[in-house]
Amino acid sequence: MRVPLAWLREFTDVQLSPEQLADALTLRGLEVRGVERWGANWNNIVVGEILEVGPHPKADRLQLTKVRIGDGPILNIVCGAKNIAAGQRVPVALVGAEMPDGRRIERAEKMGIASEGMLCSGQELGATDDGDGILILDPSAALGAPIVDLIGDDVIDVDVKPNRGDLLSILGLAREVSAITGAPVTYATRPLSESPEPIAAGLSLQVADVALAPHVVLRVVDNVRVGASPDRVQMRLKAAGLRSISNVVDATNYIMLEIGKPTHAFDRSRVGSTVHIRRASAGERLETLDHEDRALDASDLVVADERSALALAGVMGGASSEVSTATTSVIIESAIFAPTSVRRTAQRHALRSEASHRFERGQERRLATLGADQVAALLELWAGGVARSGRLVHGSDASSASTLSFRPSRVRSLLGINLPDDEQVALLGTVGMAEAAAPKKVSVAVTPGHAVAVSNEEVRAVQVPTWRSDIQIEADVAEEVARLYGYDRIAPTLPSADLPSYRPRPTQLRDRVRRLLADQGFHEVVTHALISAERSQLWSEPANLIPSSLAASEGSAEGSIILLSNPLSADHDRLRQSLLPSLLDRVDVNLRYGATTGAIFEIGRGYGMTKGTAAEWTRLAIAVWGEREAGSAGVRATRWSLDEVKRIIAHLAHLVGERPGYGAPVESQLLHPGLSATIVGNHVGGLVGELHPGSNLWRDEPRILIAELAIRGLRAGKLSVESVALPPTTPPVMRDVALLLPASTTVGEVMRIARDTVTTATAVELFDLFVGPPLAAGERSAGLRFTFQPTAPGSDDDSIVAELTHFEGAVGRATGARVRGAEEQ
Amino acid sequence: MDLAALEKQLRTLQASAETHVSAVTASAELDDLGSSLLGKRGAITEILRGIGDLPAEDRPKIGVIANEVRAAIDALVSARRETIKADELRDQIERERSDATTPGPAPSVGSLHPIPETIAAITEIMAAFGFVVAEGQEIEDDVTNFQLLNIPEDHPSRDLWDTLYLKEPGRLLRTHTSPGQIRTMQAGGPPIRVILPGRCFRYEAVDASHGFEFHQVEGLLVDRSASLSDLKGILNELARGLFGPATQTRFRPGYYPFTEPSVAVDVSWPGSKDGWMTILGAGMVHPVVLENGGIDPETHQGFAFGLGVERIAMLRHNIPDLRAFLENDIRFLSGFR
Repeated sequence: MRVPLAWLREFTDVQLSPEQLADALTLRGLEVRGVERWGANWNNIVVGEILEVGPHPKADRLQLTKVRIGDGPILNIVCGAKNIAAGQRVPVALVGAEMPDGRRIERAEKMGIASEGMLCSGQELGATDDGDGILILDPSAALGAPIVDLIGDDVIDVDVKPNRGDLLSILGLAREVSAITGAPVTYATRPLSESPEPIAAGLSLQVADVALAPHVVLRVVDNVRVGASPDRVQMRLKAAGLRSISNVVDATNYIMLEIGKPTHAFDRSRVGSTVHIRRASAGERLETLDHEDRALDASDLVVADERSALALAGVMGGASSEVSTATTSVIIESAIFAPTSVRRTAQRHALRSEASHRFERGQERRLATLGADQVAALLELWAGGVARSGRLVHGSDASSASTLSFRPSRVRSLLGINLPDDEQVALLGTVGMAEAAAPKKVSVAVTPGHAVAVSNEEVRAVQVPTWRSDIQIEADVAEEVARLYGYDRIAPTLPSADLPSYRPRPTQLRDRVRRLLADQGFHEVVTHALISAERSQLWSEPANLIPSSLAASEGSAEGSIILLSNPLSADHDRLRQSLLPSLLDRVDVNLRYGATTGAIFEIGRGYGMTKGTAAEWTRLAIAVWGEREAGSAGVRATRWSLDEVKRIIAHLAHLVGERPGYGAPVESQLLHPGLSATIVGNHVGGLVGELHPGSNLWRDEPRILIAELAIRGLRAGKLSVESVALPPTTPPVMRDVALLLPASTTVGEVMRIARDTVTTATAVELFDLFVGPPLAAGERSAGLRFTFQPTAPGSDDDSIVAELTHFEGAVGRATGARVRGAEEQ
Repeated sequence: MDLAALEKQLRTLQASAETHVSAVTASAELDDLGSSLLGKRGAITEILRGIGDLPAEDRPKIGVIANEVRAAIDALVSARRETIKADELRDQIERERSDATTPGPAPSVGSLHPIPETIAAITEIMAAFGFVVAEGQEIEDDVTNFQLLNIPEDHPSRDLWDTLYLKEPGRLLRTHTSPGQIRTMQAGGPPIRVILPGRCFRYEAVDASHGFEFHQVEGLLVDRSASLSDLKGILNELARGLFGPATQTRFRPGYYPFTEPSVAVDVSWPGSKDGWMTILGAGMVHPVVLENGGIDPETHQGFAFGLGVERIAMLRHNIPDLRAFLENDIRFLSGFR
């Protein structure tokens, strides 16, 4: 809400500077977004007096003027406007002035005659919308004075919150300013001289939907001459951010800004004999003032006559009844419409107007009559109109100020300050909430639907002004007291009451994982959860990739892709199921920025929908390319490889006490089928591999490797506390087994069988993998090293031998692998 | 063989040992020489084989002489060993000498993203005041994201949140972390002290200070006596924790449907360039919201606050454009050590 201060001063005295006022309002919760000197861009434009006007010898449309600017030399100025005459005081742009549109005024020859400046129209100044004539100033204006001092104004821009519709008016803000300064608010209604002609002659009002239009007032003004508003009105509207349209439309806008009441003016001659307020019927159409042809339905409230809809009630007028220069008689409609109905219609038609903005926030009942009368009065003043006698009225103004009881002790408790009862009541009095007698049997509204009976002694009561519909419950009074007392005066304290008994740390493991990866050279990234169809298709985690107990803690990747109904763009129209597409997108960006090496990770969520139930799961995704460790003179760099990524995965798995295995890859367009694997464990799961060579992102150099994992506890868990045994003095025992693997057998399968069968081993590692002669083509020799920890020397020899024998049998049966004899090794 | 002949043999051995030992240059060679002279099958032992031929009274004498010679040779070998060791050490050092002043390979250094790190900073500060972290769901329903927070359908305050809706009816992407207040209260009664960080979504065009995906941190405290002055105290601590001990705060009335009274908080600190900067919104939990969370507003009261993580991170690290956070240029990320 832009507030020209000269306008504000009409209603209350303001001695504060604009900046002081802005600060004071801001600290009262009326945030001032800016303070602007309207007219500050009028440099070197001063008041001049036209001494002479004469014809230009060579051009009929130009005139020669002599202009006096204070004591200086008389200026010769060539002017094209027709409305000038000797004796007028006008804005003169001196040589060197820069106009608001950037034009520079210079000494110029105009058809052979030198012109030493320019007389300015309101439009050239940006002060009015009149571009035809020179702006004629007050005859008492001081010669030579900068016109900004004469017609400029200070404008403050107040951010009015949705609960304070009453502040969407100069008068409403004057009330707040008055509470700050103590100066009274005075609003004098403009008198109206009514003609003998009664309004009811030839016009009636029918309101079909009382719930949506509880109160409607019509006025008719005859004899109207439609034209431009007075210059000062145009300037005031401009300063407030509105365009000047015509004296009739300006009058409605002026009253809307002044008291917050939107009204609408119809051309009387375009309206039939009855004004109807009704719901639109399905299929009905209306061309609104913006010349959009709109299809209406029964949720829209319209102002209509007996023939057709004329306006969207509270939102916008219609083109057919628009006031034009041919208009001589005007119907003023000033009504109270249901806020939600106006809001829905404005939203449905994407037509938010100054009027709908105010209606949505609720309107005081009494404004309907006031608005109609004040617009009519302005039409008499500005357009020569004469109001017909009386109004057509539906419903009543009835809205008495309500009494609200509150407990000052409760206010003290909520605010944490020791403010006596009387001072609270006194503060409320400054914003029009006069003290009222508390009823004998009193209850206090804790919420709008919940009142508690309290004793009469602990309660005070105030009258809530009709414009303060935001004050409904005790907490509202507390806020009002705090606001008026000043938040800055409340001394900070620390809460002393009970702490929750148990305080979990759900991000403990996540933070550990993040630190570990950062220490290993990874950069953490945060990427979009909303992605495109194309990215989304790249990969989604199969539901069975993660074992169910792990999925139970980290979230199960399930359900269909979640689409937005109102996406900002196709690039971000759905929620990701996997982190990998958006992570790869960031790999791409960094490669384009020249990062030939990189390692990034993200811990984030995937999303899916199953029969109306949304699932969110937490995963870690990593992507690496280029060098793992940089080289230097004489030092060879190490490059990222599947094994180096597995080393990272091993580090991560170690945090949850696991050495994961690897299983057969998942067929996808994402991962290289021959260089990828699933990650298999009880506490970690997922997949890892090199990017599929068929992928758009694939390049021969550097290769990109990616992995996505679920880790137990990443979502909300903590590092588990393990029992740790003291080691025996016996050294560990190693046993090596060499196996000859047939071509079809994977090491992952052999390792899985080894872990399943040799359960007492503290570790199983692959220490050798050999291919080539003397082995047959495709055959491989795998060396497995089992580590055992006997409690005493030789104590477990027999069971170790038994377990290894069991393993050798099992792996042979399952995979065809056979033990290589010592002679073969 | 008589005493004199044996002694002569020993003295000759000693003399030749002197010559040989001093000629040796490698410690292995010296070891061989030493054992060839002094060992069980060494030269001295060989010479003393002749001792059996001596008369009994001469045998102790030759023993004394032999020990004398043995000791002398041993001393020679030891001395020579020290010299050789020193030489070898010097040689090794010279052989292995390299320019150790080269810079060495660059480390592969990683970084932690400023958004999660800012969240971590906030949760760490608040942990000292007993606040625990809880993370809610990002896919919400209209009821929890709006209605239970005292934001009815068709209320103009809905304009404060431009919402991204799912095709699934009634579902939306949470526009703020505040629905976590409702879920926390419903999950367990007071006393409550929680921090609810997470990703939020809005239908918002992207520019230097807006994005359609961003992060918020919500705080909620509910007990029997929490007050606006307590809120001021807690937020002062948070502001100082984030922006330094000299940070000043300014509290002014704000508007949020789910708090009453509502507060807007501005900060400034030495060196902050724009004067007061608004960093968060807060207030006493609206009694309707408490009720919707299953808490009786007659017996309990509380406060809540919410801040935009991107904004805090921008202010703390002097970042002019929040798009950098989602761009994830490694050169940018490397600045966060």
